Amino acid sequence: MTADILSPAATSAGDRAGKGFLFWTGAVIVGLALLMAVLGPWLVPYDPATPADTVSAPPPPLADWPGLLWATLAGGEKAPHWFGTDAAGLDVFSRTIVAARTDLVIALAANILSFGIGVGLGVVAGYFRNWATELLMRASDLLQSFPVFITAMILVALGGRGWGNIVLALTLLYAPIYLRLTRAEVLTLRERGFVEAARASGAGDWSVAIRHVLPNALGPALIQSSVTIGFAILLTAGLSFVGAGVRPPTPEWGLMIANGAGQIVLGDWWPSLFPGLAISLTVFGFAALGHALERRHAA
Amino acid sequence: MPPDALTATDIRVLGEGGRAVVDGASLTLTPGEIVGLTGPSGSGKSTLALALLGLARPPMRLAGGRVLLGGRDLLVMDEDEAARVRGREIALIVQNPRAALHPMLPVGRQIGRLWRRHGGSGDADARAVDMLRLVGINDPERRSKAFAHELSGGMAQRALIAAALSTDPAVLVADEPTSGLDVTVQAQFLDMMAQAARGRGLAMLLVTQEPGVLANYCDRVLVMEAGRIAADRPVRDHFAALPRRLSDAAPLVPPRSGAPVVRVEGLSKRFPVRGTDKQVHAVDGVGFELRPGETLGLVGESGSGKTTAGRAILRLIEPGAGRVEISGQDVTVLAPGPLRQLRRRATIVRQDPFDSFDPRWTIGRSLAEPLDIHGIGSKTDRLERVRHLARLAGCDADVLEHRPRDLPAGALQRLAIARALATDPDFVVLDEPTSVLTPSARREVVELLRRLQAELGVAFLFISHDLTTIAAVCHRVAVMYLGQIVEIGTADQVFRDPRHPYTRALISAHLGEDPADRRLDRPRGERLEGEIPSPIDLPPGCYLASRCPHALDRCRVERQPLRTLPDGRQARCWRTEELPLPKEGAA
Repeated sequence: MTADILSPAATSAGDRAGKGFLFWTGAVIVGLALLMAVLGPWLVPYDPATPADTVSAPPPPLADWPGLLWATLAGGEKAPHWFGTDAAGLDVFSRTIVAARTDLVIALAANILSFGIGVGLGVVAGYFRNWATELLMRASDLLQSFPVFITAMILVALGGRGWGNIVLALTLLYAPIYLRLTRAEVLTLRERGFVEAARASGAGDWSVAIRHVLPNALGPALIQSSVTIGFAILLTAGLSFVGAGVRPPTPEWGLMIANGAGQIVLGDWWPSLFPGLAISLTVFGFAALGHALERRHAA
Repeated sequence: MPPDALTATDIRVLGEGGRAVVDGASLTLTPGEIVGLTGPSGSGKSTLALALLGLARPPMRLAGGRVLLGGRDLLVMDEDEAARVRGREIALIVQNPRAALHPMLPVGRQIGRLWRRHGGSGDADARAVDMLRLVGINDPERRSKAFAHELSGGMAQRALIAAALSTDPAVLVADEPTSGLDVTVQAQFLDMMAQAARGRGLAMLLVTQEPGVLANYCDRVLVMEAGRIAADRPVRDHFAALPRRLSDAAPLVPPRSGAPVVRVEGLSKRFPVRGTDKQVHAVDGVGFELRPGETLGLVGESGSGKTTAGRAILRLIEPGAGRVEISGQDVTVLAPGPLRQLRRRATIVRQDPFDSFDPRWTIGRSLAEPLDIHGIGSKTDRLERVRHLARLAGCDADVLEHRPRDLPAGALQRLAIARALATDPDFVVLDEPTSVLTPSARREVVELLRRLQAELGVAFLFISHDLTTIAAVCHRVAVMYLGQIVEIGTADQVFRDPRHPYTRALISAHLGEDPADRRLDRPRGERLEGEIPSPIDLPPGCYLASRCPHALDRCRVERQPLRTLPDGRQARCWRTEELPLPKEGAA
């Protein structure tokens, strides 16, 4: 009786609707971002690397958009530069869409790598507690004490600019987070009855760690990952912005903002604004999805 | 007939989605009467108890009914007025006493504030000290300045009742007030509470699942089922109406002859205390033997080291010293490989069945796990074996498809026992296997254990603090106190004629399930003073000396060996022969 009183499943109808809204908003944004990443190059009207005739052309006024859209879709006319063109004459609209692939691939790759490394080592560090895992934890402390920008710049200095550097820098940043989350979960799991029951039936340590501990310890890391992907996109853009990321003219949101930043004082706001909005929206989408999943998990 | 102290009619409490948690329950409480409220978990006991104070835990809400207190309906009062009535006329004691006390205020201050708020005038601190003394707290002046975390569970519960009684309420509602407490503390507390209630003409509602508490302290018993009061009868009629009780079971099948399967000698386990060079002596020189088909009960209060002993025997934690022989092999020196092989022969069942199964696995997969680990049989053999195990546990084969959360605790615990027996072991440690179960589920587990033991001849080490269950399943009983066995003998010897002062106190604190022999109505048995000493700073002499009513100066300085008495049992007290015979038997 006390169990059903105290369980946190105290969700009223309104609460559930709120969770659903957050979940679906996040899911739709993330879905669109993924779609852009996969199909982007086939969807856009202009090649993202070929300059147009007009340099720094502003986007058409909003009032003209319905007419232009109609003319493009039904009339077969050449599409206008929806978001204008940048100082080199590249179509901002096309580049913003194609850049989704660069940013999402880097963010996802970094996440998959750091998730695998962090969760794997986290299970080991939590389940087998000895001097070697203590050493591992101190090493992860050390890694976490490096600011990610410094790490990335060192990597650029060593190996030049490229998306591999960003993936590596982000992996070094996020693996310790997954490691800590998973280890904390494992520390409570290893005391659980079913873990002891398996050991008391003669199961070996590795078998218990992989069959019982790992699957039950994934929850926190999985929730973290959707938040982390969002921040990874932000950092990818940030690293490229300061020059520690991908090489221009690769379409990439951070790089586009950086390129447009010099023109903002001249009144050319469009080359930076649209990739900026793309970053905000995508990061928000992942964060919302992560938050909704976290609440669902907690309930 | 005195007028009723409280009359509740047609109480309805709705839960989530409009489900009725309490569905039209009515009851009356009369002054000086202790009424027990019992029923299976989820029947609405606690919710009804709260509703008597006009409260409900969200998302539940009170949907109807009347609670007449001194001629006024608590449920139609405005909130300010109801708050004045609560605490002054009707008081509540909850399950987890330490959580109910304010963590940042000394307990004396809390009692004083409550009393002031309800119109007490004068020296609040003095009133608090008086109340603490009334509920039997030693050194109440000092304790009144203590914070909640500085009190033991038993003391915190006493402080709560001191607070509740300080305003002289007419009605006291106690919701499982002793569920977290040890046996001896529980008995002392309930004695004190019952006395206070009777002495003051208090009407009391005692919510409990424990038949022992009902039998010994309640005058009348209300049984709740699915939100309704299903029965309301005097306590003797209640027990007469119960189908079967643990103590009615047939006699135990005697152990088989043959060499012992388990032999433990001088088993010790110490844990270092972090930040100091001190150690906790969790287990201190424990030794016993077990024959095939025999059950040894390991009894003791929390902190006695019984669970640690059980786990060290199976080397689930590394023992510090001593020898453990299982099926002829010395477990303490086995290499990892042979040790894993030995786990076919010896395993463990733990307290909480929901914890014992991997939440992501089906029951079938969990039951098959020991067979998979040791590669026993073909796939079809294993399936057959798993079906057989489910049948042993009294479950249909379709439970194998389910996950642990779909099953009730009792069925799950029977399945956990079946899993432990999957590889036909010689020896199983049962660590409090019935403690979180309802009385009826407990009975089923006990019956299962007895049946399986008679069929398979497996030896059990049954760890529990519940003497009723121990008496129902054990051939022999060992009593532990602060890591040591203080008395070990046959169940009859230990229960009917305990010799060690600690055993005597434990047995006398035991709440038998016989309403014809109530604790309230008989003279006090042996009791111990104070609290269990810390296992870090153990006294130089007998560990019990500081609490023992028979202690001499010699006891305080000299350790006592476990002596064999003429009747074959062993006890760790050199005064056993001189001590007066206990006035009562139990169990």
